[in-house]
Amino acid sequence: MSNINGLYKILKATVDEVIDESPLIKTFVMTPEEPFRFNTGEFVELTLDGQGEAPFTPSSSPFVTEKLEVTIMKTGYITSKFHDLKPGSVLGIRGPFGRGYPVERFVGKEVLIVGGGCGLAPIRSLLFTLIEMKDQIKKVVLLYGSKTPTDCIYKPMFSKLNSISNFETYRSADNPDGTDWDESYGLVTKLLDSPRVDLSNAIAVVCGPPIMMKFATLKLVEIGFRDEDIFLSMEKNMSCGLGKCGHCMMGEFFVCKDGPVFTYDEIKHNPEIWK
Amino acid sequence: MNRVIKINREEWNKLLIQLSDSGERIYAPVRKNGSFDYEQVARDNADGIVYNEAKPSSPLKIFFLPLRLNVTSGGRQSGRTVVVGAPACDIEGLKLLDAMYIDEKYIDETYVSRRENTIIIGAACHKTSDSCHCTAYGLNPWPGEGCDISMSRAGEDILLESLSVKGEAFMTEISGITGTEEAASGDILLIEKLRAAAAKEVAKRNNGLPGTAETGKLTAAAAPEFWKKHSSKCVSCGACSAICPTCTCFLLIDRPGFEKIKQQDTCQYPAFERVAGGEDPLKELSVRFHNRYMCKYVWKPERFHVLACTGCGRCSDGCIAGIDKNRVIREMV
Repeated sequence: MSNINGLYKILKATVDEVIDESPLIKTFVMTPEEPFRFNTGEFVELTLDGQGEAPFTPSSSPFVTEKLEVTIMKTGYITSKFHDLKPGSVLGIRGPFGRGYPVERFVGKEVLIVGGGCGLAPIRSLLFTLIEMKDQIKKVVLLYGSKTPTDCIYKPMFSKLNSISNFETYRSADNPDGTDWDESYGLVTKLLDSPRVDLSNAIAVVCGPPIMMKFATLKLVEIGFRDEDIFLSMEKNMSCGLGKCGHCMMGEFFVCKDGPVFTYDEIKHNPEIWK
Repeated sequence: MNRVIKINREEWNKLLIQLSDSGERIYAPVRKNGSFDYEQVARDNADGIVYNEAKPSSPLKIFFLPLRLNVTSGGRQSGRTVVVGAPACDIEGLKLLDAMYIDEKYIDETYVSRRENTIIIGAACHKTSDSCHCTAYGLNPWPGEGCDISMSRAGEDILLESLSVKGEAFMTEISGITGTEEAASGDILLIEKLRAAAAKEVAKRNNGLPGTAETGKLTAAAAPEFWKKHSSKCVSCGACSAICPTCTCFLLIDRPGFEKIKQQDTCQYPAFERVAGGEDPLKELSVRFHNRYMCKYVWKPERFHVLACTGCGRCSDGCIAGIDKNRVIREMV
């Protein structure tokens, strides 16, 4: 990455499969022209030729380099265009960028993961990593919240996780929608009333919409997590990915380069982080 | 003072034209319709070159960060550029640009090649403008480092002081082309006097203006109402950023064929930080306005340990709403 062509170089990828995860969320399975390596929690910029670019954290396993999966919620102009992609469509990848999850710090720990909505995408990649490390991790507890049962994504993943001896999952939907749901109702933060981890040896990971991240983080602090043991995935308007264009500045930090994963301790002095 | 040579102004102008005719990119501030800005030196404009006056309308950054650049096909710049007459405030601003564009991880070769291929001939400001306030931020209105040559006009002579190896080589090169002589002690005394007078003038005008660290503290502490009041006339035109020597934000525009165009942008434009789904930390005008002050006086200095406002005053000169940055800052005190 030492010349400008390298800095903005696109790796083309072909869409193989489009998976409907929920009414607004799709996962795109793609094959890059060359094997693509990333660390869990790092992000990529995906380009639709001539139309625009947006940042996404891969939802697939970093141990798989010949395929890349990205889960996208239809929520704006460019994400709507992504949702129109069909198998065979070609898009561009730049990256990977930023600082992902410091999984080496998770060794010997109990890992409490709090996810909301499409924020489960980066977490799924992290979970694939933790599965590979399952003998080094004491325990993994996943708490996931979606607006309704229908909005819950990666449904088949939960039973697979629960089949691993030291993994547990708990889900909550904000509101019922008439579909079958054996899990609880209410905001995901309610699941934190019983965190199910040994607080003296646990770290927490939070990823989701800003409002959910704010209240989940405050709750984690309240129940006794140390600020430096809470890992937040801050998704801002990352554009260049190089710490230069300024669009993702969060105080003195460039989220694209210094993050997107920060400890709460690193960023709590800035009251603007939840905006 | 380092080695100083002297050259007659007419001979110097001829030399610039000669270099320009030979295909080099030679730029100098040229007066036109009451203001002056960088132009490529040619036979028909060399007489209008402005010496030692603050300050060209455009900041020095325009030579290193073009307004618009195709970053997919754009590569290293070749050939030499000579920028004559850059003020010290702009030269200081390059420290932040260097920190951002030649960082440890992602080196922007287009920027690097432009920096390497450019000889910067800085100019001491003998005549300053009402908005100049470099001295409030610990700078002098003459170049001391960060450029290759410091230039001063003394009567009909141009004095050139070497400040770098590149500058020394350029001075040797021009001495081989045209008549130069070593400056006499009287010449040096004269330019030192002119410099001191300019510094005194700027300092007097900015008496009581807090330094950057103090401004940072005040900026962080001022209430939202303060920013609402002072931003009320702002029309988000972005002129303050466009002409700021240290504003570097840009937009990436996609073109067919996976081409990317890098274009100057600013946090003062609506939707600068907006994400999919509509969340926008800088949605409110007053928050955007405050953001720029925070960036200049708190975040960038904290992050890069350099000045992010070098006191050029262009943001106040160029504001169509008449917002005077220093008046805003004085009201915080």
